[in-house]
Amino acid sequence: MSNDNAAPSSSSAAANGSADSAAPRRNSKRPKYSKFTQQELPACKPILTPGWVISAFLLVSVIFVPIGVASLFASRDVVEVVDRYETACIPPQNRTNKVAYIQSSSNKTCVRVLTVPKRMKAPIYIYYELDNFYQNHRRYVKSRSDQQLKSNSSQNDTSTCKPEDLVNGTAIVPCGLIAWSLFNDTYSFSRGNESLNVNKKDISWKSDRDHKFGDNVFPKNFQSGGLKGGGSLNESKPLSEQEDLIVWMRTAALPTFRKLYGRIEVDLNIGDTINVTLGNHYNTYSFNGKKRLVLSTTSWLGGKNDFLGIAYLTVGGLCLFLAVCFIIVYLVKPRRLGDPSYLSWNRSPGGR
Amino acid sequence: MKRYVYINDDESPTQDLYCDNRISNRKYTVWNFLPKNLWEQFSRFMNQYFLLIACLQLWSLITPVNPASTWGPLIFIFAVSASKEAWDDYNRFLSDKKANEKEVWIVKHGLKKPSRAQDVRVGDIVWLRENDEVPCDLVVLGTSDPQGLCYIETSALDGETDLKTRGIPSACTGIDSELLHKIKGVIECPNPDKDIRRFDANLRLFPPFIDNDVCPLTIKNTVLQSCYLRNTEWACGVAVYTGNETKLGMSRGIPEPKLTAMDAMIDKLTGAIFVFQIVVVVVLGIAGNVWKDTEARKQWYVQYPKEGPWYELLVIPLRFELLCSIMIPISIKVSLDLVKSLYAKFIDWDIEMFDQETGSSSHATNTAISEDLGQVEYIMTDKTGTLTENKMVFRRCCISGTFYGNESGDALKDVRLQNAVASGSPDVIRFLTVMAICNTVIPVQSKNGNVLYKAQSQDEEALVQAAAKLHMVLFSKSGNLLEIRFNASAIKYEVLDILEFTSDRKRMSVVVRDTRDDKIFLLSKGADEAILPCASAGQQTRTLNEAADQYAQLGLRTLCLAWRELKEDEYQEWSLMFREASSTLVDREWRIAEVCQRLEHDLEVLGVTAIEDRLQDGVPETIEMLRRAGINFWMLTGDKQNTAIQIALSCNFISPEPKGQLLLIDGKTEDEVCRSLERVLLTMRITSSEPKDVAFVVDGWALEIALKNHRKDFTELAILSRTAICCRVTPSQKAQLVELLKSCDYRTLAIGDGGNDVRMIQQADIGVGISGREGLQAARAADYSIGKFRFLKRLILVHGRYSYNRTAFLSQYSFYKSLLICFIQIFFSFISGVSGTSLFNSVSLMAYNVFYTSIPVLVSVLDKDLSEKTVMQHPQILFYCQAGRLLNPSTFAGWFGRSLFHAIVVFIISINAFAYEKSEMEEVAMVALSGCIWLQAFVVIIETNSFTVLQHLAIWGNLIGFYIINWIVSTIPSSGMYTIMFRLCSQPSYWITIFLIVGAGMGPILAIKYFRYTYTPSKINTLQQAERLGGPILSLGNIDPQQRSMEKEVAALSITQPKGRNSVYEPLLSESPSGTRRSFGSAAPFEFFQSQASRLSSSYSRNCKDN
Repeated sequence: MSNDNAAPSSSSAAANGSADSAAPRRNSKRPKYSKFTQQELPACKPILTPGWVISAFLLVSVIFVPIGVASLFASRDVVEVVDRYETACIPPQNRTNKVAYIQSSSNKTCVRVLTVPKRMKAPIYIYYELDNFYQNHRRYVKSRSDQQLKSNSSQNDTSTCKPEDLVNGTAIVPCGLIAWSLFNDTYSFSRGNESLNVNKKDISWKSDRDHKFGDNVFPKNFQSGGLKGGGSLNESKPLSEQEDLIVWMRTAALPTFRKLYGRIEVDLNIGDTINVTLGNHYNTYSFNGKKRLVLSTTSWLGGKNDFLGIAYLTVGGLCLFLAVCFIIVYLVKPRRLGDPSYLSWNRSPGGR
Repeated sequence: MKRYVYINDDESPTQDLYCDNRISNRKYTVWNFLPKNLWEQFSRFMNQYFLLIACLQLWSLITPVNPASTWGPLIFIFAVSASKEAWDDYNRFLSDKKANEKEVWIVKHGLKKPSRAQDVRVGDIVWLRENDEVPCDLVVLGTSDPQGLCYIETSALDGETDLKTRGIPSACTGIDSELLHKIKGVIECPNPDKDIRRFDANLRLFPPFIDNDVCPLTIKNTVLQSCYLRNTEWACGVAVYTGNETKLGMSRGIPEPKLTAMDAMIDKLTGAIFVFQIVVVVVLGIAGNVWKDTEARKQWYVQYPKEGPWYELLVIPLRFELLCSIMIPISIKVSLDLVKSLYAKFIDWDIEMFDQETGSSSHATNTAISEDLGQVEYIMTDKTGTLTENKMVFRRCCISGTFYGNESGDALKDVRLQNAVASGSPDVIRFLTVMAICNTVIPVQSKNGNVLYKAQSQDEEALVQAAAKLHMVLFSKSGNLLEIRFNASAIKYEVLDILEFTSDRKRMSVVVRDTRDDKIFLLSKGADEAILPCASAGQQTRTLNEAADQYAQLGLRTLCLAWRELKEDEYQEWSLMFREASSTLVDREWRIAEVCQRLEHDLEVLGVTAIEDRLQDGVPETIEMLRRAGINFWMLTGDKQNTAIQIALSCNFISPEPKGQLLLIDGKTEDEVCRSLERVLLTMRITSSEPKDVAFVVDGWALEIALKNHRKDFTELAILSRTAICCRVTPSQKAQLVELLKSCDYRTLAIGDGGNDVRMIQQADIGVGISGREGLQAARAADYSIGKFRFLKRLILVHGRYSYNRTAFLSQYSFYKSLLICFIQIFFSFISGVSGTSLFNSVSLMAYNVFYTSIPVLVSVLDKDLSEKTVMQHPQILFYCQAGRLLNPSTFAGWFGRSLFHAIVVFIISINAFAYEKSEMEEVAMVALSGCIWLQAFVVIIETNSFTVLQHLAIWGNLIGFYIINWIVSTIPSSGMYTIMFRLCSQPSYWITIFLIVGAGMGPILAIKYFRYTYTPSKINTLQQAERLGGPILSLGNIDPQQRSMEKEVAALSITQPKGRNSVYEPLLSESPSGTRRSFGSAAPFEFFQSQASRLSSSYSRNCKDN
């Protein structure tokens, strides 16, 4: 309609002069047509039809159950030897006051015997597991100085490290509660009389060694304050080579966690007995923390953890169950979608 | 308080008293911009909250993350709104500067000099040439016209495009243009106000210019700022108001921002979340302190000091406060502003709301209230120009008892009338003379010799046009002299006085002197009830009354014409009084009305004219559709009762008997009104249970009494009644009615087109202006301006509804995503010794709200749950918006529960899947964060009804963007997540975990949604299913056969007419049988979405949740 109107007026605009000068301007006010401005972009409008929903649930269960099974198998393939030793490594006579024992300077060596339940293929990872240890505590997790760890020049950058920042006015390297509480139990393994070599190289992340811990930063004043926390460090080795520290400083998100201690690079056979000579130094007794030694192989999913497999099977099973339920309900009580009688204004008694 | 303006007095001390003519619309200056803008922004509660949080974060002891995570978004948001303000202000500055530096000619020391507009001072004489813009408010002293007239265009002031006449005060007549430079005097005028229709002042010239007589000044002697001088070679005037004190400057001002019902609800929910947050903080704070004292003291590696500072107890609660501060999403304000301006743009862009005829598109002036359109419950509509076209056509008349035009429907074609004119019947001639003279129309000779009429009143123009067609041509008007041409002879009249039309008097008169025989006549025209009581005692007014009633029955506008010959001495005596009344400063209008009354009596009523005002296209359909949508209509008109009822019938406003029933509230005295009101109320209460269409009619007089003395009863009536017609109401009564409904907590929309609707438009929750013939005043004051009434249905049903739905989703979703991440933080605190550790790092927290989760939801502005066609077919679906079914505490509880559930899923799965040797904090954090991102993407998917390309792009692009951003961040060693994302993405366990989170998180949601969707579907769902599956619902035949037959009839009607737009109108007159039947037929299938009874309980149903 507008075009019909516009055509004569614009053609006569020149002749009539000012009278019609408004005509073109008028037309320019007309909004431009585009699918976006008119909200008419082609759209796909799916609705939840029984067919779609039931097949979606079936599909999910079909995918989830096999993944669950695979995960569970992966987890079951992992061979794990766990030994809880925090009480066992305290001489019975000291068990009434464990804290005093661990803080004393007596010899805390202890021997544990492990039996390999299944053949374990190299590499076998050695973890220590701590329990009820809040590496994620706010006071703890923030008490570190990444600048100081990285470069020698920011040695005095200890402001974030309180209360383990300075000793006698000079900076502690590495400073902070995390480093100060470094885990210091030691393990050495032997099978029969043959001692097993523990490879402690490359147990930390390569990126940490290369970029977060400097190779020109050497420990200084470490554990020389009044209160000794955990382990001490070899002052002649730069931080980038102190792998136990690097591992320890990757704080755990949970109060129960395992950290890599080293690797045994020979296969262990079923029934092998492993003697572990333990240096039980670390104090978990004041907060009733457990300590465990874990030898574990690994799978494509990581260590032994049934959670994923079970969760997948549960979700898959639930989806299957829902799908079956929906099918049954659909068959028993079919319901026409979009039935006009569901609209209340079509049911109103005042109608016809 | 008065102001004395000394004309042309350079030494006058008053000059400095008043501001100069520098216009300033600016809100800020360079110096105060920052403090003032910040102050304004911080006067909002939300911003204060965020500022407090940001300040607390500066305390490193308690801050869980880098303060940048709050300061960043905060500064960003502030910068955005500040720069928007600055840009607007800069543009205002530029336009001010342009106006201020415009060249004007001012008389200084007796000489005309060019000067800048900003240098004009009060008392200066300003010289204007043709087509100049007036720089300030002037009192005209001289013009090029010998009579001292000039013409101005006032469209910038009131939107009216016709020319208006302004004249010099009588004291200045005859002053030579050279002497005007030297004129001295004083003007006594009121202090600046914003009333552009009133200027009650006095002028006294100093010798040697005439005596010291006081000369009255009215608005007719002024030219106001921003008008244009037209058709006049030059004019000069004295500046009385300058700068921001001009009438225009005073009427400027920022209108109060309107708050939508939805904003109020969002604020309420925000408040609820805030309370919840405080509870969480207190509980966790106590738990944290207890844990610290019992457990943390044993954790030697934490090294809790034995003695803490005094604020020790506060530290943990404050940490949690900061941790939980993200519960209230900082981005919601920005997102809402953004989508709201897009809604407004969609309205502006809508091609279906483009008015071909006037070439005006719809415009949303207020971009913030689109959602309210979907929640309208009452529409208050003006009649003239809103429902009707306001294109007046003279149709019939009754001259001394003879009806013309009854057969043909057009008096101009009535042969008898033509004959009467030709034969020179004195009654008819007089009738035509009054038609031609008694008005304020300005005839303009066009180049080709035709006479064009410029009129402020459409009725007057119609009368003058009709008179011209009957050979009584108003030919020219120059000064007091006007010339009419009857057949070939020219007759000159001298206009002595104009007794102007006011809405109280409802009539206007002119006193003219016939130059042929020096006789003086009073010519009057006005509403019948205003003229007939003034008729001379002997006259039979019964036929006239009947005629007026009969015309009103047909929906025509009637005017009575009358005249009287005045005696010379009677006139002179009255003239003195009139002059005196015109120069009073107080209550001038009232005094004038009183004086006019003294002249307007013993009139000889000549006859009645009937003018048709056509109904606009599509009005009945629009009203019917919106009523089916559950919206109640009130018609507020200044027109008379019968006309209003007729129009109401013809546009489906009310139904004829027996379906409908009209209840009348009338009465002259208070008692009568009271009784009538009670009677109506009683009937209303009884019939409220029946599905009957009951409406009440009230006139302005009764309304005033009812509002004053029986407000309670009237309010109850207003709630009970779906329809009301209020006739003869004044602008302020219109506004009062709106106020009344608003006070009952209803969402009101006022629609009108004229200056008399402005107050109601501003008062209502939503004001819609029709950019019509009565100027743009209403459209300017309104929140939305549309070209035609029928666009209203699209504005409400399409734009309003979509806006509501989209905002409902967007706002709740914003809370959902914030709560989701916050819940995870809270859960994490339980496994981190309730110490207030943040699981997520600063970068993630900041980016989560600002980037990762805001883009997919922003494209939900493109979501359409139902197609426009379906909504138009089932307008009842608007109920969901009206009752606020999509955003209320219970839907919000659903979203709250969903975020809690999802937080549990994400948290449990991430900490269990990444346990033991994988339990590395940065990794677990990123797994949980990815889980949140994936879940929120799927939530958007499941809640989206229609996917366009943009939505796919936003949802999937956002997911990909999340990984890209995180990969980039993972390359920065100090980011707190160095290499983490690369590490995770290369692990199968990460992907398996994410997959599990999505499956476990979305499965139950999908199942519940599907179950509801299929087995307890909401009406929206049912229509969706019908629409997508092409169900039977959309073929109206099954449901509503009557309706279809009606539509068929409409189609048939429109087919018979040619396609041109002018011919599509439906004649109002019931003479065409199909027209009447149609209006009856379409009114019949009324259905109520809610029955009358449930209206009362709507406050309950409002809170009910359907889906």
